[in-house]
Amino acid sequence: MKKKRFTAMFLAAAVFCMTALSGCSQGQGDVASEKEITIAINSETGTLDPAGSIALTYLAYSVSALDELLTFDENGEIEYRAAESYEVNEDSTQWTFHLREDALWSDGTPVTAADFLNTIRRALDPASGSGYAVYLFPIENAEAIYNGEMSMDSLGVETPDDHTLIFRLGEPCVYFLDLLRLPVYTPSCEKYADSVDSGWDKDPQTSLSNGPFALEEYVADQYFVLKKNDSYWNKDAVKLDRITYRFFDDTQAMAAAYETGEADVATSLPSTVMELYSGKDDLLVTDQIATRYIYFNLNVEPFDDVRVREAFNLAINREELCRIVGEDTEPTYNLVAKYMTDKNTGERFVDGAEQPFEENVERAQKLLAEAGYPNGEGFPVLTYNYPTLEMDSDTAQVIKEQLKQNLNIDIELKAQELQANYSSRYAGDFDLCRMNWTADFADPYTYLSMLLSNSTYNCSGIQDEEYDAIVEASSREQDPAARSELLHQAEQRAVGEQFYIIPLYAMKSVNLVNPEITGIRKIPASGALEYRYADIG
Amino acid sequence: MLGYTLKRLATGLVSLFVLATVTFFLVRLIPGSPFQNGGVSDQVVEAVEEEYGLNEPLFDQYLTYMGNLVHGDLGVSYQEPDTAVAEIIGRTWPVTVSLGLAALLAAVVLGTGLGILRAVSKSRIVREGILAGGMLAAGIPNFAVAILLLLVFSVKLGWFPAAGLLTPAHYVLPVISLALYPAAVISRLTGNTLSAELGKQYVLFARAKGLGRGRIIFTHALKNAWIPVLNYVGPASAFLLTGSFVVESIFTIPGLGREFVSSITNRDYTLILGLTVFMGMVVILVNLVTDLICAWMDPRMRRSYRGR
Repeated sequence: MKKKRFTAMFLAAAVFCMTALSGCSQGQGDVASEKEITIAINSETGTLDPAGSIALTYLAYSVSALDELLTFDENGEIEYRAAESYEVNEDSTQWTFHLREDALWSDGTPVTAADFLNTIRRALDPASGSGYAVYLFPIENAEAIYNGEMSMDSLGVETPDDHTLIFRLGEPCVYFLDLLRLPVYTPSCEKYADSVDSGWDKDPQTSLSNGPFALEEYVADQYFVLKKNDSYWNKDAVKLDRITYRFFDDTQAMAAAYETGEADVATSLPSTVMELYSGKDDLLVTDQIATRYIYFNLNVEPFDDVRVREAFNLAINREELCRIVGEDTEPTYNLVAKYMTDKNTGERFVDGAEQPFEENVERAQKLLAEAGYPNGEGFPVLTYNYPTLEMDSDTAQVIKEQLKQNLNIDIELKAQELQANYSSRYAGDFDLCRMNWTADFADPYTYLSMLLSNSTYNCSGIQDEEYDAIVEASSREQDPAARSELLHQAEQRAVGEQFYIIPLYAMKSVNLVNPEITGIRKIPASGALEYRYADIG
Repeated sequence: MLGYTLKRLATGLVSLFVLATVTFFLVRLIPGSPFQNGGVSDQVVEAVEEEYGLNEPLFDQYLTYMGNLVHGDLGVSYQEPDTAVAEIIGRTWPVTVSLGLAALLAAVVLGTGLGILRAVSKSRIVREGILAGGMLAAGIPNFAVAILLLLVFSVKLGWFPAAGLLTPAHYVLPVISLALYPAAVISRLTGNTLSAELGKQYVLFARAKGLGRGRIIFTHALKNAWIPVLNYVGPASAFLLTGSFVVESIFTIPGLGREFVSSITNRDYTLILGLTVFMGMVVILVNLVTDLICAWMDPRMRRSYRGR
């Protein structure tokens, strides 16, 4: 009898504990009249200050909250945002922007040219930690100011009145308009945005926005909420009342949150999601403006021999590689991102020229023999450094196997933590190193400039005067068609003649989107999703 | 007793000092820089490192850090330049504590209950069922439990939310994931020690005096049986109170464990150090408290402390 009572008591206690924990699951306040969406994004990194050390969180925030001067739509047409019009002088060294006079910050005060200058000045202080400060260097004296060699007064930016902003450039820069979407060219309200570490950027009272949405709440590590900005000049086009961004560390957790309805949009998911959701309306696959490739270290023998570099390129079977690595990859033979659009033609840039080279195992073997390694004999065992991400690990295995099979060459695989991989790459401490580049702005120059002899991203020791000359000529060329021709010529030299890199594949971005949401746009420059004019229900 | 406590606190301080020193140098041995990522040029990295004094001789940096630490200043995070490390701990620890305490409570209630049931039950099925269940629960690692619970109860059945810690319902799955293993251990320990206690003479004597079975178990036998269990619960609670990376990550819980792992990935030196020192402190204190409670419960142990 007693034993039964004890058992019953224990069970009752256990049940009580469970219900106490689960009992009061509150609904998350759905008000029918308010249109809200929740977006799952990668975990929190960096600040919301356009002049600071920004990362993914800023990029998610800014596409909804901040208006740049102007941007380009999917057809390559200019869409004016904070600016109303612009003029440029004949040699592309002076750019004048006329700001929208009805543009207001979310507290109702006018947006002025000084707010744009505020970001630029703060970003030019190295203490800001801005990784984008280098994109201000086309402006006259900006680089010298950053390096502490000149004073801020000599900066080539003028604000003759509240609504005029003039940039004087050190040298002609025909792609200057493409740079304007970068954080360092985005305004920050002079009244509050005084320093990168005062915390103004995450406080809704001081973090003002000049775009369709403004910060309402920021909870570190968890989420931030944007609400419609009623001072926005184009507020009638904005349909949503609120956007919540929630941080996730794990893509699996992100997909689970989409499944349970805790998120309406989940971005950058693994390729397995593509198979799970194939044929469903939820799946939205977008192009990433990015290229995965491998750097040779030209200071390591025998990679100083162009025949060896060509042999490696020709011996890799990219179709097979992509089949194994995942459905979200597609072979590429270029350095410039496969999905980048050429604004002059509206077509993909890489389709504007012949494919730089064709795979050919026989020729690869012949080249290797000519270089002194017939059937791979005597070829040193070199190391391939790659980060321990699933995709890169799979890629490394396939490449090792293909090189063994096709050229009888052994390479050693060295998986590194991402940070360690960056460090050894920058230090030039590698034989072969995996590289990935996502476009910062929508122009092939973002790729081709990396291989310039003096570029900080040139980690493989390329010193090619002829290449430098072609790329630099393209920066001065005013005629779009002629410039395009020069860029193609540069790419052909680097990828199809000198074989400085091994291009591997372009990637797709796998997203899940609640089918009830309409009006999501893709940003052509980055391939990211934009929700400013989205609607639900 | 007071002398013993002071002595333990002093050794704790020495441990913390060694911990901070070793961690300081180990962290710097990891390749990579807090300011380097795929898209930042060398020029920028160098400028920022100079700004934070990372280009000074390592030993000077160590002295500066330890000097600040003695004054209770843990420094500022490199990834969130406007946030002090202490502020990040203040923000993430309460989350971990609330989850850890809930898991601890669940583990103790469940584990003790099942342990008692196993010790007193006359049914072989109940006894062996509990034993087998406990083995199973102790055998599955908590990340597997967490993913399984997430897939079944959240994604498929939709009973509980999948991410965050916003409402009480959010606690259920992570608490179960965290509590299952300690509950299994507590149940096994309680079952074993209680069975042994129940065979002792004082229990027989109490029964002969006519005391009820419940009274014998709860007021007499359990108190003695629980001392070995307490020795396990102490370190286990230190573990629960410093956060589980895996479970926090799977359920997207903004606690100490998740912060710790991201600080390592980001090479956020000050944050790694701050969190390590803080976690070390929690572990040392919890262990001390456990010992003091044991001493309070067991007069034999109290006497042995007096001798030291």
